[in-house]
Amino acid sequence: MRDFCRKAILITALFWAFAAKADSQQGKVKPERLENYLKKIEQIYKVSFVYDANEISKTLILDVPEKTGSIQESLEPLKQKNIAYRQVGNQFILKIVPPSEPLIAKDIIVRGSVKDSKDGNAIPGVTIVVKGTTVTATTNDRGEYQIAAKDASSVLIFRYIGYKTVEETVGARTTIHVSLEEDASLLKEVSVVSTGYQNIDRKLFTGASTQVKSEDAQRNGVPDISRMLEGQVAGVSVQNVSGTFGAAPKIRVRGATSISGDNKPLWVVDGIILEDVVNISNAALSTGDANTLIGSSVAGLNPDDIESFNILKDAAATAMYGARAMNGVIVVTTKKGRQTGGTQRINYTGNFTTYLKPNYSQFDVLNSADQMSVMMEMLNKGYFQHTTASRGADGGPFYKMYNALYDYDPVTDSYALKNTAIDRAQFLNRYANANTDWFDILFQNSLLQEHSVSFSSGTDKFQTYASTSYLHDNGQTIGNNVDRFTANLRSNFKMSDKLSGEFLINGSIRDQRAPGTLTRTSDPVYGTFSRNFDINPYSYALNTSRAMTAYNADGSLEYFNRNYAPFNILNELNNNYLELGQIDLKVQAGLKYKIIPSLTYSVDGAYRYAKTDRRHYIMENSNMALAFRAATDATTVGSNPFLYTNPDDLTQLPVVTLPEGGFYNVTYDALKNYYFRQNLEFDKAFHNDHRLNVFGSMEVRYIDRQNSKFDGVGYQYDNGGIVNANYLYFKKAQESNAPYFGMGYGYDRFAAFALRAAYSYKDRYSFNATTRYDGSNLMGKSRNARWLPTWNVSGAWNIDQENFWPENRVISSARVRATYGLVANIGNANNSGAIFYNMLSRRPYENEKETVTYISSLANSELTWEKLKETNLGADLTFLDDKINLTVDLYKRNIFDLIGSIKTSGIGGEYTKVANYGKMKAKGIEVTLGGNPVTHTNFKWRTQFNMGYNENRITELQNTPRILDLVSDNGGSIVGYSQGGLFSIPFAGLNHDYGYPYFIDESGRKNPYVYLQSTKTNYLKYEGPIDPKLTGGFYNQFKYKQFTLSALFTFAAGNYVRLAQEFSSSYPDIYSMTKSMLNRWVQPGDEKYTTVPAILDPYTASRLVVDASGATTSAVYPYNIYNFSTERVAKGDFIRFKQISLTYDLPKTFASKLSMSNASISFVGNNIALLYSDKRLNGQDPEFFGNGGVALPIPKQYTLSLKVGF
Amino acid sequence: MKISKLKLAVLFSACIFASCKKYLDTVPDNRTEINSVEKVAQLVATAYPEGDYYTFAEAASDNAEDKGSGVGTLSDVSSKPYYWDDVIGADRGSPSNYWNTCYQAIAAANQALEAIDKNDFGASVLPYKGEALVARAYAHFMLVTFFSKAYVVGGTNDAMGIPYVTEPETVVIKQYDRGTVASTYEKIEKDLTEGMALLSASAYKVPKYHFTPAAAHAFAARFYLFKGEWQKVIDHASAISSENFASIIRPINSTLYDMSSADYNAAFSRSDQKFNLLLINLYSSYQRLTSPRYGYGAKLVNMFATTGNITGKSFANKILYYTVPSYTTYKHKEYFYVTNQISNIGITYLMSPALTTDEALYNRAEAYARLGQLDKALADINIVLANTVRGYTNSDAATLAKIATYYGITDPKEGVIKLILETKKAQFLQEGIRWFDILRTRMTVKHNVFDAQGNETFIELTADDNRRVFQIPEEARLSGVPLNPR
Repeated sequence: MRDFCRKAILITALFWAFAAKADSQQGKVKPERLENYLKKIEQIYKVSFVYDANEISKTLILDVPEKTGSIQESLEPLKQKNIAYRQVGNQFILKIVPPSEPLIAKDIIVRGSVKDSKDGNAIPGVTIVVKGTTVTATTNDRGEYQIAAKDASSVLIFRYIGYKTVEETVGARTTIHVSLEEDASLLKEVSVVSTGYQNIDRKLFTGASTQVKSEDAQRNGVPDISRMLEGQVAGVSVQNVSGTFGAAPKIRVRGATSISGDNKPLWVVDGIILEDVVNISNAALSTGDANTLIGSSVAGLNPDDIESFNILKDAAATAMYGARAMNGVIVVTTKKGRQTGGTQRINYTGNFTTYLKPNYSQFDVLNSADQMSVMMEMLNKGYFQHTTASRGADGGPFYKMYNALYDYDPVTDSYALKNTAIDRAQFLNRYANANTDWFDILFQNSLLQEHSVSFSSGTDKFQTYASTSYLHDNGQTIGNNVDRFTANLRSNFKMSDKLSGEFLINGSIRDQRAPGTLTRTSDPVYGTFSRNFDINPYSYALNTSRAMTAYNADGSLEYFNRNYAPFNILNELNNNYLELGQIDLKVQAGLKYKIIPSLTYSVDGAYRYAKTDRRHYIMENSNMALAFRAATDATTVGSNPFLYTNPDDLTQLPVVTLPEGGFYNVTYDALKNYYFRQNLEFDKAFHNDHRLNVFGSMEVRYIDRQNSKFDGVGYQYDNGGIVNANYLYFKKAQESNAPYFGMGYGYDRFAAFALRAAYSYKDRYSFNATTRYDGSNLMGKSRNARWLPTWNVSGAWNIDQENFWPENRVISSARVRATYGLVANIGNANNSGAIFYNMLSRRPYENEKETVTYISSLANSELTWEKLKETNLGADLTFLDDKINLTVDLYKRNIFDLIGSIKTSGIGGEYTKVANYGKMKAKGIEVTLGGNPVTHTNFKWRTQFNMGYNENRITELQNTPRILDLVSDNGGSIVGYSQGGLFSIPFAGLNHDYGYPYFIDESGRKNPYVYLQSTKTNYLKYEGPIDPKLTGGFYNQFKYKQFTLSALFTFAAGNYVRLAQEFSSSYPDIYSMTKSMLNRWVQPGDEKYTTVPAILDPYTASRLVVDASGATTSAVYPYNIYNFSTERVAKGDFIRFKQISLTYDLPKTFASKLSMSNASISFVGNNIALLYSDKRLNGQDPEFFGNGGVALPIPKQYTLSLKVGF
Repeated sequence: MKISKLKLAVLFSACIFASCKKYLDTVPDNRTEINSVEKVAQLVATAYPEGDYYTFAEAASDNAEDKGSGVGTLSDVSSKPYYWDDVIGADRGSPSNYWNTCYQAIAAANQALEAIDKNDFGASVLPYKGEALVARAYAHFMLVTFFSKAYVVGGTNDAMGIPYVTEPETVVIKQYDRGTVASTYEKIEKDLTEGMALLSASAYKVPKYHFTPAAAHAFAARFYLFKGEWQKVIDHASAISSENFASIIRPINSTLYDMSSADYNAAFSRSDQKFNLLLINLYSSYQRLTSPRYGYGAKLVNMFATTGNITGKSFANKILYYTVPSYTTYKHKEYFYVTNQISNIGITYLMSPALTTDEALYNRAEAYARLGQLDKALADINIVLANTVRGYTNSDAATLAKIATYYGITDPKEGVIKLILETKKAQFLQEGIRWFDILRTRMTVKHNVFDAQGNETFIELTADDNRRVFQIPEEARLSGVPLNPR
C-alpha cells in the first residue's frame, strides 16, 4: 500500500507538472513597433509598404504573432489600429480607416423569419451570417431576424444545430423567409459518444456502444425508463420478471459474467453512477419480496426527461468504469436547455392508459365443474374426511360443508345443513357451478395517467431545462396503486470562454400501495418456496380453485378458512396491505475550466439522498391478525403455530399473544451517496493530421446505506390507534430470539484513478488506451485485495477515408474496430480478512443467553476481484448514401477469478467457502441493421432490426452442487455447462398399479425416490440455460404526412424455464388445478397414454409407494420430484408484439390557432400479444414466474398520448 | 507560478493519499473485531461444536433396532449408520456435519488464541485462553474418537489421527496432515493440561455453556478413560465437585420422576440442574426424528423394565412414545429459534448436555474397577442405582455376588464393569455415549434387520471392522487428507 501511494503521488505530480508546462506555452503574441514589423514582412514576403507617415505613426505599437503564416495573416494585426490596406502589385498601400465611418449606411437591411420546414414552427436562435464577413444576427423568439447585407450580391447563411444550413443570395429582396430542414444525416450520425466521463468525438472512440435516442425508444404508458431498452439494443436483454412499478427488470448486457454475482449493468445518469437503495440480486428479483419494489433506482426518472441512452458494451467502451464495468454500462443523458435566444418553450405530455384484465382463456386452469369432479374423486379416495377437513389449517367448500352440519339455529331448531347425501351434494353443487372469475374480481381496467410539463429556455450564456411530472396509477389489481412525482432542473452556464458549468437537481417522490406481503422462505429439503399469508392477487387468481366463491348467495363476502382463521381475499386486500413511500433527491454540479484551449480541467460533484419506508398495515380483521388469535377449539389450539407455549409452565395449553389489534410493521431504507470527480483533458490537433486526446480522472465514491425495521404489535386500527400489546408476544419474541426491531448499515467506499489516451491519424486510424486503478473497502481490511488495475487497448480503421477507397454510393462508409482489455467487478465476497459478527446465543432461557461472536468467514488472503478479458471485433458500415447502416460486433470473453462457493475439507473451520476459483468462457455476436430506407417528404420509413447472441460455458468450477441446486427454477452452475443451467431429473413413466411417477435415480435404476440432496448429478438431463441466448427486436416506423405508425416486436430464444410446482401427493380443496390433471392416470394401463401421475388415496400414499430397494417411501417424494423432472420444463422462446403506436400530428394551422407550436395525439398499445411461446407453458408468460408477494406480470395496456408544445 | 502550482498539486495529492488509506479502511458493515478481552470471551463462546453426533452415534450403536419394514420413517442420516454405511453429504445429523462443526469450533478457538497472541490483553484474558485451549482439545478429541481408529490402551496407536489445527486458516485450500492417533492424543493432552490450569469458575456469565474447571475435569475424566490412565480418571472425576455425587447426579427416581412430561422434557438440558456440567447449543434436528425405523424400539424399551437390571425393579425413567414402537426418552427439547415471528420461520436447536456428573461418576466407577478397587466401584454404581431405580431401598444395592448371578460372569472385575456399562447404556440412551463405550471396550455390535416379508436377520460390526470409523468428508482430499479405509 505504501508503495502504491508513493507511485500514485509521483503520477499525480507528473500530471500537474505537465499541466504547468502546457500553461507556459500560451504566450503567442508580443508587442512590436509598426515600423519594425513592416520591415520584417517586407523581408519575408518581398513586398513593400506605402503610407503617409503623418497619418500613420511608425512608432505605433502592435501586438503581433510570434510566428506568421501567410501575408494576409501577418497583416491582420494592422486592423487593431484601424489600418486598412490595398495591394497593388508588390506594393501595399496603407490607409487609416475612420472607425466611426458608418459603412452600414450603404447596406441593405434584410428582414425575415426562419421556420422549421417540418412543422412550420418558428425557430429562435438561428444564426445568420453575411458570407465572408463577421456580420451576424440571431432570430428572436418569434423566429424573426434583421441583418445588414453589404450589397445585392451578399449571401446570407442560416445555421442551426441539427438542421441543414441554407444559403440565400440577397438580390433585390429586403424580406427573406427561410425554412430550415432537419438534417437527417446529422441526427443519425452521432458525432459524440457519451461515456459518462467524457463526451468524446466518435472518431476517437473505438469501443462497442449503442446509442438509443429516447424519442426512438419511446414507450408511452410505460413509466419506468429501464423498459425503454426492450428490443432496442443488440446484446441487451430485458426480462420482465415482474411488472409491478418499481421492480427492476432483469437486464443483461452481453449475458452473465458472474456465477455468484448480480450480473446487473451499471446505470450512470448524467455522469454519476446511480447506486441502488437496496441491492437485489437478479435471482431475488423474481421473489416478489417487498424490497423488490425499490430495486430499480431509475424508476424515479421521468421518461420525458431522457435525451438518450448509451449502452457501453465491450471492454474499451466501459473501460472508464474499470473495476465495475464487467456487466456493461448504461449511460443515461437527460435533456438540457437549448439555446433559444431567450424565448421559452413549454411542452406538455399526457398519457392515459388503461389495462386489460387477464382472463382464464390464457391460462391452464380447471373450471369449477372439473375441479369439483377431481375433488369428488379425492373424496371417494379418502381425502376431505370430516375430522381433518373440518379442522384443518386451510379449508374450502368441504370445510364449509362439514361445519354447516353443526351450525345450529335455536330459533328454527334446525341445522344449516342436514347430513344427508342429497343435502350435501346440493351444498357442493353451488360451488361446482360457481366458476368464479377471480381475474374479474381482483383485476381492474383502471386508469394510469401521466402528466409531464417541461420548460426550456436559453441564451448562449445560460440554458435551462426544468420539468415536473405526475404519475397516477390506479393499479392493475384492486390491491395496487402508485403516485409518483418528479422534478428536474438542469442549467448550463458559461461565465466566460474559459469557464463553464452546469447544475442539476433531480428529485422524485413515490407513494405506492401493494398487497401485504412477507418475505419468501425456502425449504432446503424439498426445494420449495413458501410465503405465509400470501395474497398476491395474480397468484391468488391463478392458484385458487374456481369452485371457491368470493361472495355468499346474498352478496356478502364469503369467508373460507386459512391459517385456522376466516379468509376472504377481498377483505384481506383491504385489511392487509403495504404502503411504500420513497423520496429521492440528487443535486449535482460541474465546472469546466479551459486552462488553455487544448487543456480543460473539470470537476463534478453530486450528492444524493434517498429514503424509503415500507409500511405494512395488518389490521385486526385481516386473516393474518386473526390467525394469531385462532384458538377456537382444542384441535386448533394444538396445531396453530402462532400460539405460544409458555416455557415457565409447560403444562398449560398454548395461548394467544395478540388478543387485540393487528400489526403495524415498518421497514426503512436510506441511502446517502456522495460523488466527487476531477478530470484533466488535453485535446489537440497537430498539423491537421494528428489528433490527441488525453483524459485523466480521479474519483471518490461514498455510499452509506441504512436499513431498519420494527414490528408494531397490537395496534388497534379500529380504536383510534391505541396500542395494547400483550407482554406474551414480547416474551415469546425474547425467548425465541426473534428481534421485534432491527437495524443494519453498509458503508461502501471507492476511490479510483484513470488515464485514457486516444489518438487518431488523418481520421483514418484511431488508437485508444485506458488504464484505471480502483480501490474499494468492500473486500475487507486486508490491503492486498483492495486495489486493482484494469486496462485495455483498442483501435479503429476508417477504411472509407483511405485514398484507395472508391467514391461509391453502395457502401458509403466503412469502419472496423478492435478491442482487447480487462475489466472487473467486486464479487460477492468480502473476507480478505476474517469476518466476525456478534449475535445473541441461541438458547431458550433468559438467564442462559449471552452475546457471542462468531466467525462469518475465515480470512482469504487470495481474495481478488472478478475479472474479464475481452476481445471485440466490430464493423460499422453504411450503405446507399447512408440510408442503411449495419453494425456487427463479435466478441470473446475470458472470465476468470470468478467467485463461487467451494466445498473444502472443513478442517479450517469453514466447509463451504466463497473464493475466486471459477472460470467461464463466453462468446457472442451482435448485429444491428437499420436506417431510413425511404426519406420522401411525404413518406418516410425508419426501420431497425437487432439481435444479440450470447453463449457461455463454465470451464472451471470445483463446486459440488446437490441435485436440488440444479433442478430448481434458477438453475445451477457446473463445469461444462452454461451459467445458470437448468437440469431435470429423467422421468421414467408411471407405476402400473397405482400411477405414481418413476424416475431414473443416481444408480441408473427406475425409482420413485431420488435423493435430492445427493451430489451425484452427472446423470441429470441438461435442458439449457435459464437466460436466453438470443434476444433482439424489430422496429418499424412509417410516416405519411401527419401520420406516424410504428410497431415493435421483441424476441428471445435459447433458454428453458421450470414449470410451476403444481404436483403434490395431496391437494387441499382451495387450490386450483391445471387441465393436465384431467389427463391423469386413473386406472392401470393408463400409464401407456399419459405421463400425468395419479391422485393417490391416503392409504396408497403412505404405504404402497415402494422404492427401488423395496423400501416403502412417502408419496411426498415422487410427487415433489415430478415437479423437477423432464416432464415439467418448457422452452423460454418467445416472439412478442411489444408495442404499436399511431400518431397524428395536428396541422400547423390548427395548432397555431390554439397558440400552440405543435400538437400531436397518439394511440399506443403495449404488450399486445405473445405471438409465439412453448405450448407447455399453456399461455403463461415465459418471462414471468408468478412468485407471489408484490410481483405482477406485465399487463396488456392501451394508451392515449397527447403532446403539446407552446 | 509553475512552482507554486506544482507544490499545490503535490500537497493536494499527499492529502488525498493519506486520507485514501483511512477512507478505504472503513468497515463496510456492522462486523466486529477481536480487540478486547470481552470480544475474546465472546468469540470463545462459539468454540463448541454445534453439530450433533446423536443421530449417527446412536444409530450405529446397539441403542438402535430395526422396528420392521414399513414402520417409522426412513432418512439417510439415521438409516445409513444403522447399516454402518457412509452417509453422503453434510446434512444436519451426518458425520460430515459433525466433522465440520468441530473444526468450526476449533477455528473460533484458534482465532481467539491468535488475537490473544497479537494483542496485549493482560492477565484478565487468561481464563478465556484456558477455555479456548480446552475447547480446542475437546473438539479434537471428539473428532479423533469418531473419525480415527479407537485408542488402544498400551497399543502403538499409529493409525491415522485427525489433523490437529492450531492456527487460523488464511488460504482457500490448505494442506493438512492427519498424524497418528497417538500424536493426536498427545496434542489433546497438551492443550487440555495447559488450558485447565488457566480456567476460572467465575469468568462466565452463563457458566454452564462454558468450560468451567468442573466441566474440564469431566472432560479430562472421559479423555483419560479412553487413554487408560485410570488414576487420572478418578482424580479428575473426584475434582468436579466437593458435593457428594449422590446429590448432584440426575434424580431420575425422585425429582425427575415427579415431573409432568413437558417439564421432564425440558429438565435434562436446563442450566439450573446440577448434573449438567457443559451444555452446548446444537443446530440440530435430531429431536424431530421422532419415529425413525431404526432407533429406540420395543426391544430396547425392556432395558427399563424390571427384568432389565440387576435390582429386579424397573428404572424410573419415563417411557414415552409417539406411536408404538417409536419410543422416546424425551430428553431433548427443541428450541425453535425464530427468525421472523410474524411468518413463524426459524431454525431448530437443541441444548445438549455434553458433559454430566452422571457420566463422570460412571467413568470413575469404571476406573476404580479397572484398578481392581471393586468396593469403590460398587459404591459409585450404587449411587447411580439409588438415584435411578424406582422404589430403591438399600437392599437393592449391587453386590459382587448379585452381579455374578445376574450376569453369569465369574470374574468379579469383569462383572462390575459389565454392570456399569449396561446401566450407563440405558441411562444415556439417545445421548450417543454408548458409542464411546463400544469403541473403548472393542465390543461387537449386533443389529437386527427385517426384510419386506418380516423375516429377521442380523448383521455384526466386529472390533476391528473399518466401518467402526466414520468416514470423513470426501472434500478432505483437497487438503491432502486421506479418507478412512473401507
